[in-house]
Amino acid sequence: MIAQSRVNEYHKTTKMKIIFLFIAVALSLTTMAQITKVSLQASGLTCSMCSNAINKALNTLDFVEKVKPDIKTYTFEISFKPNSNVDFEKIKKKVEDAGFSVSGFIATINFENVTLQDNTPIKIGVNSLIFMHTKAQSLKGEVKVRLLDKGFISSKEYKTYGISSLLTERGIYHVTI
Amino acid sequence: MLPYNTLLFKFSLIITQMKFQLLISLLLLASSGWSQELFSVTEPASNRAVGSIGFRIDNSIMNELNRSKIDYHLIPEIALGVSKTFMVSGNVFFSNRDDVFKYEGGSIYLKKRFLSHDAIQRHFRMAAFGTLSYNNSDVHQEEISMYGHNSGLEIGVVATQLLHKVALSSAISFVKATDNGNNNKFVYGLKNSKAVNYTFSVGKLMLPTQYKNYKQTNVNLMLEFLSQLNTESGKYFADVAPSLQMIFNSQSRIDVGYRKQLSSTLLRTAPNGIFIRLEYSLFNAF
Repeated sequence: MIAQSRVNEYHKTTKMKIIFLFIAVALSLTTMAQITKVSLQASGLTCSMCSNAINKALNTLDFVEKVKPDIKTYTFEISFKPNSNVDFEKIKKKVEDAGFSVSGFIATINFENVTLQDNTPIKIGVNSLIFMHTKAQSLKGEVKVRLLDKGFISSKEYKTYGISSLLTERGIYHVTI
Repeated sequence: MLPYNTLLFKFSLIITQMKFQLLISLLLLASSGWSQELFSVTEPASNRAVGSIGFRIDNSIMNELNRSKIDYHLIPEIALGVSKTFMVSGNVFFSNRDDVFKYEGGSIYLKKRFLSHDAIQRHFRMAAFGTLSYNNSDVHQEEISMYGHNSGLEIGVVATQLLHKVALSSAISFVKATDNGNNNKFVYGLKNSKAVNYTFSVGKLMLPTQYKNYKQTNVNLMLEFLSQLNTESGKYFADVAPSLQMIFNSQSRIDVGYRKQLSSTLLRTAPNGIFIRLEYSLFNAF
């Protein structure tokens, strides 16, 4: 009888260890970095009603806290709800569905000491970032990253940066600091 | 149907007539300022925002040429932004041209944007469009119009260029009139029931001089040229439609304009008159 209870205890502890490990891994992936805001520039428009259509569309995203539009420069400062699932692809789609294009996309990310290694993607929620033209370094604190993929940059700049040969996959973004 | 070279010749005559007026207007409009491409009489190549609904009421007060009577046309419309590249709208026609103000039919309009190139304060877009129209009133003019006069079909292509300071839009379409409803035949004969429409529009933002917020009222000036060439008879018309447009709260809009016939060999009942168009847009509605 004593042996049985010891066996049960042993199983319980192992179970708890597994659970703890799982939580630790999960937490480590989410606390590594947080996307706090995005500065987006839209193209293909001049009128304020067009800008308002983009503004209203961005505000329908559930992870968006606030949108601050600048009609003169066609930029939108988007701030996100803390611990929300920010999705870059969904932001771009809102601009395109409003009838326009993204010509500039800069994300402000708060890193908690992440080691940047050549070509190893850093996963932040549903977004994987591959750092281009950046030395291996340790990222800590607030860092601004610029997206270089098609649809997040003007077509002129896209040709200049020359990453058209690289594969673009949903959720994977080529960025630069 | 007339041989192609004759058609092209007649077409070029219309274009030349329009070119002069165009040049003057371009010189006037291509000065400082942004531009708008939400034209009053024609549709640009741009699409509506996905999930948006536009409610429009179009009023036309036209003077009949052959008798002192004013024809009033009321056309309410609902437009939906279905996808990034596709929109659909439906119109209902009411008028008192037949001496009694009554319902006269309706139409469905579809537009598919197939090309879009965006840059800062610039874009070039192209779209294909089509209109299917039903009208139950009598056919009283040689001009063929899917907008409140004839039953039939219109298919065309429109191209719009937004160029920092000027917005230009041009459309070419083929229109075919069928017999109208209520036993009202297209009295000019099957051969004369086909035509080509050509339009050219220019728009410019006058106010505000500096964008500060969405609450500012936008005032735009438009100049549109509309023409039709009957492919069988070679008869045509060329109209000009200047208009003033005001956008409130970046959401609702009013267009006030005047349509004037410049030249015509086609029989037309009431080509000149005032139009007042009101529109309200709901965003992210569905």
